[in-house]
Amino acid sequence: MPQIQLGLGVDSTETIINVIKMFALFLLMVQLVPLLVWVERRGSAFIQNRYGPNRVGPLGLLQLLADAVKFLFKEEFRPKKGVAFMYYFAPIMALLPGALSFASIPLSVPITLQGENWGPYNFVLQGYDLGIGIVFILGISSLGVYSLLMAGWGSSNKYSLMGALRASAQAISYELALSLSLVGILMVYGTFSFTEIVAQQQGPLTFNFMGQQQVWSFLPNWGIFYQPLGALLFFAATFAEANRLPFDLPEAEGELVAGFHTEYAGFKLLMFYIGEYGHMLVASCLLATFYFGGYNIPGVTPAEVTAFFASYVGEGNLSQILTAVTYHVSLLLRVLLFLWVFIHVRWTLPRFRYDQLMDLGWKTMLPWALFNACATAVILWLFQS
Amino acid sequence: MPMNSLIDVGLSHYLALSAALFAIGMLGVLMRRNVIVMMMSIELMLNAVNLTFIAFSRFRDNMDGQAMVFFVMTIAAAEAAVGLALAVTIFKRFREVNIRYFEHLKG
Amino acid sequence: MTLTAQDLLFYILGGLSLASALGVLLMTNPIYSALCLALTMVSLAGLYASMQAWFVAGVQLIVYAGAVMVLFVMVLMLFDLKSEIKAFSRGAVAGFMKLVAVGLMTGAFLAAIYNSADTLLGTSLAAHVDGTVSTKALAQLLFGKYVFAFEAMGVLLLIIAIGAVALSRIEGGTHADE
Repeated sequence: MPQIQLGLGVDSTETIINVIKMFALFLLMVQLVPLLVWVERRGSAFIQNRYGPNRVGPLGLLQLLADAVKFLFKEEFRPKKGVAFMYYFAPIMALLPGALSFASIPLSVPITLQGENWGPYNFVLQGYDLGIGIVFILGISSLGVYSLLMAGWGSSNKYSLMGALRASAQAISYELALSLSLVGILMVYGTFSFTEIVAQQQGPLTFNFMGQQQVWSFLPNWGIFYQPLGALLFFAATFAEANRLPFDLPEAEGELVAGFHTEYAGFKLLMFYIGEYGHMLVASCLLATFYFGGYNIPGVTPAEVTAFFASYVGEGNLSQILTAVTYHVSLLLRVLLFLWVFIHVRWTLPRFRYDQLMDLGWKTMLPWALFNACATAVILWLFQS
Repeated sequence: MPMNSLIDVGLSHYLALSAALFAIGMLGVLMRRNVIVMMMSIELMLNAVNLTFIAFSRFRDNMDGQAMVFFVMTIAAAEAAVGLALAVTIFKRFREVNIRYFEHLKG
Repeated sequence: MTLTAQDLLFYILGGLSLASALGVLLMTNPIYSALCLALTMVSLAGLYASMQAWFVAGVQLIVYAGAVMVLFVMVLMLFDLKSEIKAFSRGAVAGFMKLVAVGLMTGAFLAAIYNSADTLLGTSLAAHVDGTVSTKALAQLLFGKYVFAFEAMGVLLLIIAIGAVALSRIEGGTHADE
């Protein structure tokens, strides 16, 4: 019998825990969706004075329940002239990019667990660490277009098809600005790995100026202070990538009924929503990781936090776990803040026209992203020489 | 012995896969009559070559193969851009992208 | 005899890429051909990653699967081509000759690979390479040894962009055919 080595862990315990971790990460993404739907519906109800979400039950929570029941019990329906395989496969495909890229983002500091008679296990709170995280995420998220194209073609409906074509053109255009805005970050940190980027953002703001090291202790060492323009461009481009307002031309209600998901209802529509929220979640995580210090807490190091917990519960596994949870909450707070911004932009800004969208992408954001990359290169060269 | 050589995947396995992909792509260029499908088959052939480069780079521990892949990819992207622009032009004229309409381009 | 993750991935992804490449050849609707080719690109990216060419795998996803194939699918959807009746070339004799020619070529390739198996298998295999390390080595190669070719590629892409714009602007834009 051939032996099987899959490289998931040193022994079976570690392999099993790693596999469980993958499922947990996927569930984490899916479980965030009801919360976001609630925030979105309640926020929109307050802003536009809608009935329902700000009146039904305590805090409008019953509206969520009603939505879930509606999603589950809607009649199963499929356009007769559509292509069945593509029609059913598109919602599944919509989930993949978000889930895969979310799993490659580090969510907290690594934990080392050790017992009396079991060896030290080192767990990173991350699905997989590829070392080229940024390239991987850009590649995976560019696959999301296929879900829209398949939905548009499989529905056999001209509104769906127009929405899908708009979506793919938009995604390709804004991907350029998105990737180029990240070039600055790559040059500043000199790595593709998220873990290293987060590690470099620890401590106070430190940089070399005229050959002398400057330390500004009143500011954290976050990417936003090195790349303010890049952060702005990245933030704007992620809206377009996630097909959110003000860039939601693919599903502009006034023009295309509902765009690529016109023919979808019930649970299949919900899967598209999960995909969209997954996209937003990944975008928020990336924004936090690149520009806002990742899971770092300003002013303290992980070792100090572990020592603090160890003074209460004693050295060992529990203090490690508490540290990881603290750092995870620190990341989660930032991510939730960005998600809140994402949602509220949707209900405050009007939609672009399609030619304005293309002009903004190609004639404004792309040149500025190029300028940002060139300026970063020149400044880095001047400061470090 | 045959079981052993099947399980221990080496350079020859990757080369064989690449040869098969190249053959399929070549058949596509020769047999299909839709210009866009023919271009896609050429992309397939270029990808087969890329696989060979990567396999040699891995099993010979030499990074030059990976650098070559970049050049092939650039050429492939350029070919796709020009080819699609040509196909759009042909389609505007004849409402069809069959290869036999390219005969009308002369003169 | 150990079955490592790389061997397993070779069979899964290699089979997937072969099946989807056959799909490109055999599907009469060009849109399905294009989607099959996208699947081939993705599985090839997986194969590159399994051979620890991490950065090339990422670029394969971004350039091929994310940009080139999306362009193909978009153009095909705009054309709205139905399943073609004459998808394959005519002529039984010519078709047979083509099949024989491709078969001979592939046979020659496979025979060459089989015969050189002994010399090929004796090569050194690097240990697990971290993505960051191999990417750095690749960058040093691209911007050092091959820098002139790299710059020439940039010029080529610029020319291609201008050429594509010029081609598609003939007769005043995409929608002016009447």
